[in-house]
Amino acid sequence: MSTQTSTLLSQIEMRDLVKRFHHQPVLNHLSLRINDGDLCVLVGDNGAGKTTLLRILAGLVRPNHGIVTIGGADPISDPQVRRFIGYVGHQPMFYQDLTALENLVHYARLYQVEAVQHTVIQAIQSVGLTPYQDQPVRTLSRGMQQRLSLARAALHQPSILLLDEPYTGLDQDAAAFLDDTLQGLHTPGRTILLAAHRPQRLLTIASHVAWLKDGVIHRHLPVDRLGEDPELGRYLQEVG
Amino acid sequence: MKPSVSYLAAIWTILRKDIQVEWRGRQGVPVMLVFALTIVFLFNFALQLSPDLQAGLAAGLLWVSLAFASTLGLNRGISLERENNALDGLLLAPMDRSAIFFGKALGNFCFTGLVGLVLLPVFSLFYPQNMLRLPLVLVMLLGLGAYTSLGTLLSALSIQARTRDVLLPVLLYPLALPILIAAVEASRGVLTGQSLGDVSSWIYLLLAGILLFNAGGLLFFETILEE
Amino acid sequence: MNVAKKPSLLVILDILTVLFMSAVLVLTWFFTPVEAVMGPVQKVFYFHISAAWGGMLSFILGAIAGAGYLRSRRLGWDSLSLASIEVGLVFALIAILSGMIWARPIWNTWWVWDPRLTTTAIMALIYLAYFILRGGLSTPEARARLGAVYAILAVLTVPLTFFSIRLFRTIHPVVIATGGGQGSAFNMTPRMLTALFASLLAFTILLADLVWHRFRLAQLQNPLSEEEN
Repeated sequence: MSTQTSTLLSQIEMRDLVKRFHHQPVLNHLSLRINDGDLCVLVGDNGAGKTTLLRILAGLVRPNHGIVTIGGADPISDPQVRRFIGYVGHQPMFYQDLTALENLVHYARLYQVEAVQHTVIQAIQSVGLTPYQDQPVRTLSRGMQQRLSLARAALHQPSILLLDEPYTGLDQDAAAFLDDTLQGLHTPGRTILLAAHRPQRLLTIASHVAWLKDGVIHRHLPVDRLGEDPELGRYLQEVG
Repeated sequence: MKPSVSYLAAIWTILRKDIQVEWRGRQGVPVMLVFALTIVFLFNFALQLSPDLQAGLAAGLLWVSLAFASTLGLNRGISLERENNALDGLLLAPMDRSAIFFGKALGNFCFTGLVGLVLLPVFSLFYPQNMLRLPLVLVMLLGLGAYTSLGTLLSALSIQARTRDVLLPVLLYPLALPILIAAVEASRGVLTGQSLGDVSSWIYLLLAGILLFNAGGLLFFETILEE
Repeated sequence: MNVAKKPSLLVILDILTVLFMSAVLVLTWFFTPVEAVMGPVQKVFYFHISAAWGGMLSFILGAIAGAGYLRSRRLGWDSLSLASIEVGLVFALIAILSGMIWARPIWNTWWVWDPRLTTTAIMALIYLAYFILRGGLSTPEARARLGAVYAILAVLTVPLTFFSIRLFRTIHPVVIATGGGQGSAFNMTPRMLTALFASLLAFTILLADLVWHRFRLAQLQNPLSEEEN
């Protein structure tokens, strides 16, 4: 699963990122480095720019200024770098008329995964959706679609996973299932950056917390040193 | 060799997915076809067309109905990607993003081409013109090739506006005018018994359109889709 | 550069514009002969051709500025592109209207399906759609990016449009406008040519002046454009 190059390719670096919308800076000269193998929770208020940050990393949004490198290469200018990234956004990115299986087969082909059928069936099994694999995606619940999204994002064995608020809209059971899935996905050599505005439940599995505030990374700490920072501690208490 | 093979594979993957969605939902081709037939009936009465319709009018009627009906398919093709942000899924894939253009444009071409192929015998039934002729089929496919390339490009522009699908015809028809003129004229020519060589100027114009709009897709599609 | 202060070069250009446009008026009224067949109405020709020329030039400038935006991602280029196309559209409308004014007494109809006039009319539709597109987009970046792509595409299709209409007309000639079109329908005397070239020059200067003013207005509306990187 983790090849020799994956160590290199799972390091994320952002330098001096600026992104403006309507002339307003959302990210204002932001820099952050996430090391290989970290599970970093990105916290911050709604509208702080967490989604923008993740979309820039995924190569979906072009920054006005600054540099993004994934293992030393730029995901926007070099399409092949995108092979090492898995991304789950707010929307499930599925074709509603196609079945779960067909959707994943489509994505597996886009990434030119070897042994498409086998890989896809495995992936669906890993998120416990085998009984539903031949149903059109529109008939699946929000929680099931979210799990299927995770399976889609991990289909091509990316060394970096970017997850944007994966817990939104999930009930208690679905959220518990997602906890397990996440831990399963956090294999050695894989970096996960997860945005959550209510991060409390993640602190047990996360290795780091990054706090996005006023367009910059206000704090970036390992979870076991959270006690040293009362301001971040208070913030995490507040948002729950 | 490897990258170019994977580029073609990506185009084929996107095209195959569009065909699959169309087969499952049947929301493109049948809708376009019904709309095209409605236009034929509408024009028949609005323009008081005689039953022994002249070749020129038949060619015009064919292209007006195709041009209007195609807009529905073009909008459908792009809003499919807009739903649930499926487009993001394509943008994330490790390939040059112009492959998305070619995949979508080919899909649009196949669906409108199918509508055209069904319309030709229907026209032959309604009017005393045998429309099912190889030269006419060729002209139709060339015309639709240019038209749907431009349409695919513009549908990606219009989908980003608040006015969405309403915008596409306003953008598309004026820019597509030379293509439609050439397509109508070439069709008229072959319907009145001219050979493809006799209408070669129009054929060249259609080829120029195909070249220009596909080059536009190659160069600009990523720029159009980025945020 | 302080955008709020009017550059002195622009003031000079303003003065030049007024001088040249007045000179052209004087030339067309007093210097050029009255065309034998068409009479005084033919004099609209100098403005008609010049406006059409100015429109075409502006649209090309708009596409070039659009390409400049796509290369540099500086919103200043978009302001220039927008300014050019807006002025170009006004010029194209002047060309269409003056063409109609000319056609009415000569051919007894407001509209002739002459290839050049028709191409200009279609161009006007194409660029009206440009403004509809921009109006539907919500961020300045999207307006600039998609506007630029559209402006480039639009200019590239103009030759196709012109060629297709001309070819169409050679196959289906109109009864009235024989002999090609307005421009070549009569023989021009040297004085007419002088006035025409003066008019082309004056309209080019007018165009530069208007585009510059419109560009400054766009820049002023857009406070951050100076520090864009």
